[in-house]
Amino acid sequence: MAPGEIHALLGENGAGKSTLMNVLIGLVRPDTGSLCVAGAEVVPGPWSPRAALRSGVAMVHQHSTLVPAMSVPENLCFGAATAPVWFRPARERERVERLAGSFGLDVPVDARVEDLSVGQRQRAEILRALDRGARVLVLDEPTAALTAAETRALFPALARLRDRGVALLFISHKLDEIREIADRVTVLRRGRVEATVSARETSATELGRLMLGHEIPPLARAARVAIEGRPPALALRDLEAPGSREAGRLRGLRLEIFAGEIVGVAGIDGNGQRELEEVLAGVREPVAGEIEVDGRRVRPGVRSLRAAGVAHVSGERERGGLVPGMSVAENLAVKSSYDGGRLFARGLYRRPAARENAIEAIRRFGIDPPDPDRDVATLSGGNAQKVAVARELASGARVLVAVNPTRGLDVGSARFVHEQILALRDAGGAVLLVSTELDEVLALADRVVAMVRGRFFDVARDTDTARLGAILLGETSVGDAA
Amino acid sequence: MKERLRVLASPIAAALASIGIAVGVLLALGHAPLGALEALVRGAGGSPAAWTGTLQKSTPLLLTGLAVALSFRCGVWNIGAEGQLYAGALAATFVATRWLPADGGAWLVAPVLVAGALGGAGFGALAGWLRAARGVSEVISTILLNFVAIQLVAYAIQGPLQEAPRAYPQSDPLPHGAMLPALDRLHLGVPLALIAALVVAFLIDRTAVGFRLRAVGHAPEAARFAGLSPERLGTLALALAGGLAGLAGAVELAGMTGRLYEGLSPGPGYTAIAVALLARLAPLAVIPSALFFGALANGALAMQREAAIPSVATQVVQGIVILLSVGFALGRLSLARERVPSEGEA
Repeated sequence: MAPGEIHALLGENGAGKSTLMNVLIGLVRPDTGSLCVAGAEVVPGPWSPRAALRSGVAMVHQHSTLVPAMSVPENLCFGAATAPVWFRPARERERVERLAGSFGLDVPVDARVEDLSVGQRQRAEILRALDRGARVLVLDEPTAALTAAETRALFPALARLRDRGVALLFISHKLDEIREIADRVTVLRRGRVEATVSARETSATELGRLMLGHEIPPLARAARVAIEGRPPALALRDLEAPGSREAGRLRGLRLEIFAGEIVGVAGIDGNGQRELEEVLAGVREPVAGEIEVDGRRVRPGVRSLRAAGVAHVSGERERGGLVPGMSVAENLAVKSSYDGGRLFARGLYRRPAARENAIEAIRRFGIDPPDPDRDVATLSGGNAQKVAVARELASGARVLVAVNPTRGLDVGSARFVHEQILALRDAGGAVLLVSTELDEVLALADRVVAMVRGRFFDVARDTDTARLGAILLGETSVGDAA
Repeated sequence: MKERLRVLASPIAAALASIGIAVGVLLALGHAPLGALEALVRGAGGSPAAWTGTLQKSTPLLLTGLAVALSFRCGVWNIGAEGQLYAGALAATFVATRWLPADGGAWLVAPVLVAGALGGAGFGALAGWLRAARGVSEVISTILLNFVAIQLVAYAIQGPLQEAPRAYPQSDPLPHGAMLPALDRLHLGVPLALIAALVVAFLIDRTAVGFRLRAVGHAPEAARFAGLSPERLGTLALALAGGLAGLAGAVELAGMTGRLYEGLSPGPGYTAIAVALLARLAPLAVIPSALFFGALANGALAMQREAAIPSVATQVVQGIVILLSVGFALGRLSLARERVPSEGEA
């Protein structure tokens, strides 16, 4: 990496990004090889987080590591080797303002960090690294927690740092962002550098191919197979349920999903998606309305919904019913632990049968590492999600409720999940896809509804992203939208 | 293999460290350390009589240790084995001295043990109900219920269950037929507790119910989304644990004391937590763990008797050994529970 370069690091979950990052910031000592910072060979040599910082390598973490109850100047002094013995607020405030001004990273200097926005906290974090003399910044998925507007504000700030001669290692899953901000991209695959390419000259397709080792073909969507003359596979009839917050209360949801279609629910977090998920997973009791599967009313509850053939996949492991601390085999079995199926015949847990079942699922879904006894908590996000998908699809369900099913997954794993969803639909299944990723909804859904403050609004499928975004934010009135 | 060595390393380190500190404490208190420690070891297992005493002391620890291990495995922090033990002993005493015929045969043992288990289970289920229905933390309710049980016993033996002569605060002696048959001084409770360990191990590892309990213990929210009820399973875990602790109370009553009185349990309900943690919550490992704690208690008595160490000093030594062994075991426990961060999270 050259000084004054933004260098992106790209790779699937498990490709070695985290390990490389940990080596750079001194948490992991490499077995062999050398590492040079600003012309000086630092490895081999004593290498630790402290040594890394001394040679000018610092990391900006995905989650804030600032002390929430302290102001930014206090945080900058806190733990710094060069901190003065006496903390003089006025002097430090001025110093921080000067520093912030010189890098164009404005942060409020009086407010406590806990009152700052995510974007401001991140700028403060970058400022702290610079204050400690960092010339090489490692940014771990810096845009993951930012809103679109905050991301737009971050990029010019990063460009200014680059112009000041700071080297930035930018880790991200988002191919578009990388092409926008980075100068060069290094792609890792299975612990090796696959290639380093110029960000301007490469394409998303090429990056995807380098990452996966093969081309990602465009998602193939067969034409919709509408199955007429049958009751809807899943219907919500004036469903109402209390919300964790007022905006999340479900206010009379009506929706019919027929066999062979995917209905996408687009929306911004906090508009009732979690509540809808909980009702359809069976853990939240609706106060009014009904759920029907194939025209028959289903009693709310995990077991009755599952018995009626409704499967559920979630972007959050625990909500998806993945039990950390239990093995892959046990997780594949957990939902049948009460229905006395083959794996639990006569009230006993049939371990050999459960392992065989797991070996089959591992083979079919390519779960890696292929070990039925492995704790799911130690699997990568993509592989853990494969376990969940395997379990839900193995039940022979005809209705799938997928809520942010690819959150946190790399391109390859997300693709896998998308293909499974499409395959279920093509085989005559019905899918309710709830996602905060507009692109995901638009790419997969046959019909789209917007979810705003606990209500559904029909949206034309050819609505462009910008317009849909406006609808979701409430900037366009519903009348215009419909 | 390496893993096995590491598992063994911590108890050995704990033993060495506790011997070192115990020697220091004994020296500081002005006692000859080697003689005292020798008396401790001899008293714990130096003769058949010492072994009998150790097994007797280990039995209630094994049952209550299993109670704690079972509930902790299900994510229920049951601190109430002491109270559940007393509830069991109280129920057993009531059945034995008020319901059963005084001249009944050996069959009386069965209803006494069942009453003990049911009494403890009911008492455990009470904490479970408070947790499930009212959201009361089981840590608090089980601790408080310990006092309730102790006071209930105190009331009973000075009131409705007091002995006929009304001389001492104790119950009538159990009918002869209700006493556990014994070989030498080893009563039936010893093999019974060993069988209980096998049953609990089987329940947790091999049955559907045990599978559900484990799932809830690992992640209650995930289990809820998978269709399990953390509330109901938590209550079940508390009832099962209470049953084991109640059985310990009945065994102590029908195997050792023959009467109910205050201080029947010299605190096994609390030591049980240490027993379970040292065993890293594995039911079969509770057997050696309980044996270790029983040997320690028994040896401490011998140390007091034979080496003329005052009981306060023996308790200090005992405390040091418990603290260090559990400390080392917990160190292992936390290491074992430390999750390898997955790529997605890192």
